[in-house]
Amino acid sequence: MAAAGGGGGSRADNGYGSQQPRRRKGPGALATAYLVIYNVVMTAGWLVIAVGLVRAYLAKGSYHSLYYSIEKPLKFFQTGALLEILHCALGIVPSSVVLTAFQVMSRVFLTWAVTHSVKEVQTEDSVLLFVVAWTITEIIRYSFYTFSLLNHLPYLIKWARYTLFIVLYPMGVSGELLTIYAALPFVRQSGLYSISLPNKYNFSFDYYTFLILVMISYIPIFPQLYFHMLHQRRKVLSHTEEHKKSE
Amino acid sequence: MLRKQKLSAPEHKRDPAAHGGTLSMSHNNTRSFFNFSQLVLSAGNLKSPPVLKHSKITYFEVEILDVQSKKQICIVDKVPPSSTLLDVKHKFHKACPQWYPSRVGLQLERNGPYLKDSVNIQSLAVSSIITLYFTDLGQQVGWTTFFLTEYTGPLLIYLLFYIRLSTIYDQVESTKNFRHPVVHLACFCHCLHYIRHLLETLFVHKFSGGHTPLKNMIKGCAFYWGFTSWIAYYINHPRYTPPSFGHRQVSLAALGFLMCEAGNHFINVVLAHQNHSGSKACFPSPTYNPFTWLFLLVSCPNYTYEVGSWISFTVMTQTLPVGIFAFLMVIQMSLWAQKKHKLYLKKFYPEVRRKAAMIPIIF
Repeated sequence: MAAAGGGGGSRADNGYGSQQPRRRKGPGALATAYLVIYNVVMTAGWLVIAVGLVRAYLAKGSYHSLYYSIEKPLKFFQTGALLEILHCALGIVPSSVVLTAFQVMSRVFLTWAVTHSVKEVQTEDSVLLFVVAWTITEIIRYSFYTFSLLNHLPYLIKWARYTLFIVLYPMGVSGELLTIYAALPFVRQSGLYSISLPNKYNFSFDYYTFLILVMISYIPIFPQLYFHMLHQRRKVLSHTEEHKKSE
Repeated sequence: MLRKQKLSAPEHKRDPAAHGGTLSMSHNNTRSFFNFSQLVLSAGNLKSPPVLKHSKITYFEVEILDVQSKKQICIVDKVPPSSTLLDVKHKFHKACPQWYPSRVGLQLERNGPYLKDSVNIQSLAVSSIITLYFTDLGQQVGWTTFFLTEYTGPLLIYLLFYIRLSTIYDQVESTKNFRHPVVHLACFCHCLHYIRHLLETLFVHKFSGGHTPLKNMIKGCAFYWGFTSWIAYYINHPRYTPPSFGHRQVSLAALGFLMCEAGNHFINVVLAHQNHSGSKACFPSPTYNPFTWLFLLVSCPNYTYEVGSWISFTVMTQTLPVGIFAFLMVIQMSLWAQKKHKLYLKKFYPEVRRKAAMIPIIF
């Protein structure tokens, strides 16, 4: 749900572009170098996942249960995205900490608290749906950031980033929702991550209800992020057209 | 002499002080008299003397533009120079009835600060037309309404849970289980806390700001009411587990709670009275009341006592959700205390220098 491409929702004006003269000052040279390395590593990581998926598909001949072949790199690189929250907090990336935290945490939640924790859903096809959506989105997004930092952004990457989300975002959201839905009966059965009364600290938590609430929360949040991205697309891509025309 | 002065009648009517031109002159000197009287007039007071009926007061015109579209909304004219921004807002409200004064945010420049209501129009004026940018601050609500709503909710909600409505709790369990005395004590303390807040809002506090956007009220109410429901659910639950250390824990915590409540009350009284009688603003000083002695260590003891109340309540009920609520209150109060402390450091530096913001010595 963390917005296939929505991560750029707050940076959609090309982060280091100069549309607004009164931006906070950008990262220094050291921070830029670090960010370039970070983004290159993440691009490479997601490429590894993409290649792994393709190889597993070719080897198995079917697209079922491909999760196991890319389980480890997926967990590693998706968790690595937590660093982005730190980048925002330190100010080397001009994004809102809260928005980035929200997006990254929802991805990490799905990776660990749903797919990893409820082993029975790992064979579901919906997992493949969101993994593919995430992979393509993240490859484009991290290469976008890399090129932006190096001030050599090919139009193709920019176009891809602001266009492919139109298909990938709903695809990812569907995959995520179906996975959570598939996990529900197993959570109910095993009482996963749930505490019930009575206990010493008078607290109770029902993971099953929590997952249902998470699913419901997609309803208001998804359209907002989606239309925000559409709006950004119009702004960024039309601005580039004008820029090209004026040249 | 009078007859001759009739020639300079217009000047004479305007300013009897130019009476000083009482010289006998001939027609030839009329013109020089005219020039002379003009000189006298220009050299005199620029302000019109109060005696005149046709006084020349320069009225200002205030042009109000929308901050985003820069389009003119309306022009408020005939604004006397002694009026304040609030008067302009009232006139604006008459012209555009949907923007009542507390909802109107006026800036001198598009990204400047909002001007205060007490600002004098003359101090803003560069020429006789003043341009201001208008922002709609949204539906406003008075502070008293804000606090009354915010505090009445938790009071009633907790009681709903206390009486164990059948829709919330399983009736069979509710009637079967024996209720530990701490549950009754918790209800009493919780109600005491909010009743105190309500009474203080009505009779003690003196609000300076006036209004706040409705959005803030909704956010605040959602937070307080939501958390109260959550904590009330667990404390009044049939399967509630009393504190591990039994009566000792409960009594000590209850004592702490009551002391913090009393302290909070006395501090609020001191703060309210101080503003009321303060001709020269100064940092509130401790009185003979021992609860106010916290002013010696801390600049915002009302937040200290509030935090103390909630921590005592947590210990008393030994309920994790209350702990989470108390934790969030600590964070919120710390932020407020820090802001207030900075303000105090600027205004009352010598007295506040060695004090902490909220927690003695530590923060």
